[in-house]
Amino acid sequence: MVRLHVAACEGCRNWVAAFSSDRDALRQLAAVMPAGVNWDRLAAEMSANVRVGLEAGECVAPRVHKPVLATGWRVAAAVAGVTALLVSAWWLNMPRAESVALGRVVRKIAQARPWQGGIRAFDDSGPLVQVSAAGIQLQQNGGTLGMSQGQEPPVSVTLNVQGSARARYIDADTGQITITGVYAQ
Amino acid sequence: MLGASGWAFGQFGQQPFGAQPNFPQQNPGQQSLAHKIDFPHDAPVTLAGDEWGGSAATVRGGAYAIDVRVALSLRNASQRRIRGITLTVLAQESTPGGKGSISVPSLDVAPGETFSVRGDLHLLRPIGAGASPMVEVSLDGVLFDDLNFYGPDKLHSRRTMMVWELEARRDRQFFKALLDQSGREGLQKEMLASLARDGDRPQFGVQMVRGRATNTEGERDLQFAFLRFPDAPVEPMGGIARIAGNEARAPKLVVHNRSPRVIRYLEMGWIVRDSQGREFLAASLPSEMRLPPRSSSQILPDAALRFDPRTSVESMTGFVASVEFSDGSIWIPNRVELDDPVLRRVVAPSPEEQRLVQIYRKRGIGAVIDELKKF
Repeated sequence: MVRLHVAACEGCRNWVAAFSSDRDALRQLAAVMPAGVNWDRLAAEMSANVRVGLEAGECVAPRVHKPVLATGWRVAAAVAGVTALLVSAWWLNMPRAESVALGRVVRKIAQARPWQGGIRAFDDSGPLVQVSAAGIQLQQNGGTLGMSQGQEPPVSVTLNVQGSARARYIDADTGQITITGVYAQ
Repeated sequence: MLGASGWAFGQFGQQPFGAQPNFPQQNPGQQSLAHKIDFPHDAPVTLAGDEWGGSAATVRGGAYAIDVRVALSLRNASQRRIRGITLTVLAQESTPGGKGSISVPSLDVAPGETFSVRGDLHLLRPIGAGASPMVEVSLDGVLFDDLNFYGPDKLHSRRTMMVWELEARRDRQFFKALLDQSGREGLQKEMLASLARDGDRPQFGVQMVRGRATNTEGERDLQFAFLRFPDAPVEPMGGIARIAGNEARAPKLVVHNRSPRVIRYLEMGWIVRDSQGREFLAASLPSEMRLPPRSSSQILPDAALRFDPRTSVESMTGFVASVEFSDGSIWIPNRVELDDPVLRRVVAPSPEEQRLVQIYRKRGIGAVIDELKKF
């Protein structure tokens, strides 16, 4: 609509041309720096003003702390609480045999001192089956488990490398053979 | 008497109804032992009576040491003769030493007859595994005279009882033939020879733990020698083990299937001779496998044996003890193959031979002959 009027009206077209000429002149003047400007001084003043603004902001706004790890007695209390929880859970749920076995393993590791090259002397605490003329013994966690059939010794004992052993007993009166087995694995 | 599936406390044994219990002396720390006998409803044996006198549990460290002294009276409820039975005695499935078994081979129980099974064994049960000490007796398998088997076979008792039964048949046949050829004197001479071998058979202490090796310094490889049985379906081709002082570990054996059938199980015997010339059966080497005909395989059991501290291993000998084919049939050595001086000296005879020898010792040669005539 405006364009149609300007195209038809000579007076208005002259005003538009004058405004356009003034705009171009202003752009050329703005592109030229004023004479005698000291840029170093101007930069220093701007920096000083920024710092003043920040200091003023510190005075009126609450300080925001950076999140940092807690130290001191709070940490000690938290660690003690967690430790007590773990010990209680262990004591309530873990069979005593497992605790004893773990203790033995720790002690053996300490004695073997693998960090000093003593790993070859380390003897694990796996189950150990032993056969002899007296019968079968299973040793686990330092405890010994024996097998017997009445008062008589077995007539033969066999060891199986898969972790079991059998003892063969004979009834003196009837001759009936009974074979008992124990499974360590 | 306890039913076939119920719990009872067996510290004081069986008491008649209304009778005052006879309280035995009980050691401090001992507890009554709860027990359960659990046979399937379709089992070929039924419980006719049970006695648990002397069974008890004692707290030892973090576990119960359980003494199981059980005597069961079982009735053959099937229509076939029973040749063997294996019972599982369970205190704790996953605990080493928590599981045991009681087997009775060389039986001959007719339908409807009762027979006894006695067991005296010690088991372990962690205290945390349950509120009170308890043990469960269940049926693992029954072998009949037609070699059919009943049972869950969790302990592979079918294979074991089959071997015992085949050995029994082999040995009865041998003694019958001896009786026919040499008469009472010949049979008596063989009984006496077997008695003498039993008395002379060495039984040395051997410890075994899988994968354990405590003495690896100065280790050396030692080759196996083999007793070769011409009739055996498996031929040992070679083998070595690591030896250090009185320890032997990591045996490796190569075997060849020279039969036309697939083999699924092999058991080898491991004989050790020390520097003093003492020779003994150290262990058996069982191996589950799938060995096609005319092919070879390596056996690598994860085991270490430790002998008496005075034992310095000098040589080792292996032999094929039994073979199971894929169809379930089993091979065992014949009497000729077992007539090797080393085997006769170190390997125990079959349960059946020991039973017959005991009958001879107790009741004389006439009773042995009567026994042989039963089969």
